[in-house]
Amino acid sequence: MKSPVSGPILTLMLGASIWLVAPDTAIGQTSSGPAAKSAPAASTYTPPRTPDGQPDISGMYEPGWINQPAETAVGGPWKPPVPKGGKSIGPTDFGARDAAEKDPTRTQIEQSRKPMVIDPPDGKVPMQPWVAEMRKKIYDNQEKPEYLDPRVRCLQAGVPRANTPVYYNSYQIIQKPGYVVIIYEWNHMTRIIPLDGRPHLDPRIRLPMGDSRGRWEGNTLVVDVTNFNDDTWVLGHGGIGEGQPAETATSGHGIVHSPELHVVERFTPVNKDVIRYEARIEDPKAFTRPFTISFDAMARGRADHQLFEYACHEGNRDGILMATGVDIDPSQK
Amino acid sequence: MRIARKCPVAVLSLGLVWIAAAHLQAQAAGQGGKYSGPRTPDGKPDLNGIWQVFNAAHWNLEPHSPEEGVPGGQGVVEGGTIPYKPEALAQRQKNYESRATADPLSKCYMPGVPRITYVPLPFEISQTPKYVVMAYEFAHARRIIYTDGSPHVEALEFWMGDSRGKWDGDTLVVDTNNFNDKTWFDKAGNYHSDALHVVERFTPMSPNHINYEVTIEDSKVFTRPWKMSMIIYKRLEKDLQLLDYDCVSFFWKKMNAGKK
Repeated sequence: MKSPVSGPILTLMLGASIWLVAPDTAIGQTSSGPAAKSAPAASTYTPPRTPDGQPDISGMYEPGWINQPAETAVGGPWKPPVPKGGKSIGPTDFGARDAAEKDPTRTQIEQSRKPMVIDPPDGKVPMQPWVAEMRKKIYDNQEKPEYLDPRVRCLQAGVPRANTPVYYNSYQIIQKPGYVVIIYEWNHMTRIIPLDGRPHLDPRIRLPMGDSRGRWEGNTLVVDVTNFNDDTWVLGHGGIGEGQPAETATSGHGIVHSPELHVVERFTPVNKDVIRYEARIEDPKAFTRPFTISFDAMARGRADHQLFEYACHEGNRDGILMATGVDIDPSQK
Repeated sequence: MRIARKCPVAVLSLGLVWIAAAHLQAQAAGQGGKYSGPRTPDGKPDLNGIWQVFNAAHWNLEPHSPEEGVPGGQGVVEGGTIPYKPEALAQRQKNYESRATADPLSKCYMPGVPRITYVPLPFEISQTPKYVVMAYEFAHARRIIYTDGSPHVEALEFWMGDSRGKWDGDTLVVDTNNFNDKTWFDKAGNYHSDALHVVERFTPMSPNHINYEVTIEDSKVFTRPWKMSMIIYKRLEKDLQLLDYDCVSFFWKKMNAGKK
């Protein structure tokens, strides 16, 4: 862009504009539909079929419940300090909060405040000690680029994080014979998921988004994802509050994993407009037991919705400079 | 640029094998003849699959000698020379001299159009009646080409432009505008302004190769519209998939090396 606006900030503006121009899209529809319940999917909805016989989930989608907590804090709630004469800044960043203000399902969400983690039932992510320790380091070192959220560094979100409803994302799903293609606006991630039962890649090949193999179980798209590297965070939306201790986190922020991560995702259309997402996350090096998250990830948008280019890294110099004092492209001086 | 340093030999040898194989196919199919390959249910040529260009356009669109890390090339520009305005030619020369660091790809920026097509890495086409999606192995770049008759967006700037397609017989014609002025056409500094307008014609010649012809228009930089053309080959290996060359993550690994 011509303007000096940096990537993530531009993204914020775009995100905000989506909310301004399309307040009547699918988010509103979720409030009264079956999507409002957060029980695991047991849907009676039968979607139409594609020409090659797949359940047809294609279309344009917007993020589902944006402000649902990811987890129960392992160390109790955080009470952010209240600045003189002002409201406190919570643990989620202002874009997500502004979006939530406009979200008609907000009251319901705040009433339930159910975390995405449904197993273990206490909603806590069962981190191995080194993962909890790394999370603390991340929270305590936000001025250093090496501890910044991969999102802020314009890296791909990984899986399952890519599916977390965030205001800076929207989705297009297309289906072609033998494949489901999930196109994410966020950082131009694209997942081309083969359904032909081929084996996973050789274990020596490691990718930030992993290696996805899909199959249809009834009307649920089940995707087995392996071959990860350890570049990504498992969850995370919103941001870190100023001075927030890691053990009070409810946003999923800062949870790393090992290359042994294995995710089994379940995308279920619970009605014509809402895709419920469930993922079982297994990584014995990083977690003391497998855990499961579930939430309404995608809500159908307008048919003429278009994904915009998410040029994040291309405009990130000023943002990183401001946050850390590190210049990632001195040639722009 | 990692690709330029590490890949040329592999790309070259692979390329030779492919060019030889595709040449035979071209002869068998009767080059330029009517397309008789597979079609989608709506009757269009079925372009689904993984494709790749094998030539030296990524390094220099014009004819050039080989040098270390750069395969020689006979050029892909119709008439051999890009018709720069005199002052624009001087800028191209400046770009050429500083190409090692000034090439936007060396910073992992999106390559723009048409360069993304001939970056020496594969890309995958997913085709439906309303969209032709091109996902690229390089930096998970992507184009969503609307073939639903929708108009261009107005007065925005994108690294990859705004692409609207239509079928002209068996040729997919893609009209792209709304570019910024930050991408290059190749590693030799050939460039454009934000007035760039690109029309690509993807004409399938057989199930396994597409004739790719591009018209470049940019009245701020060139004296007239000009054309380039090349062949896009289908990658036929069993179970082949894109292996995300995640340039930005490599960039950060260099930045953060030794920390944490």
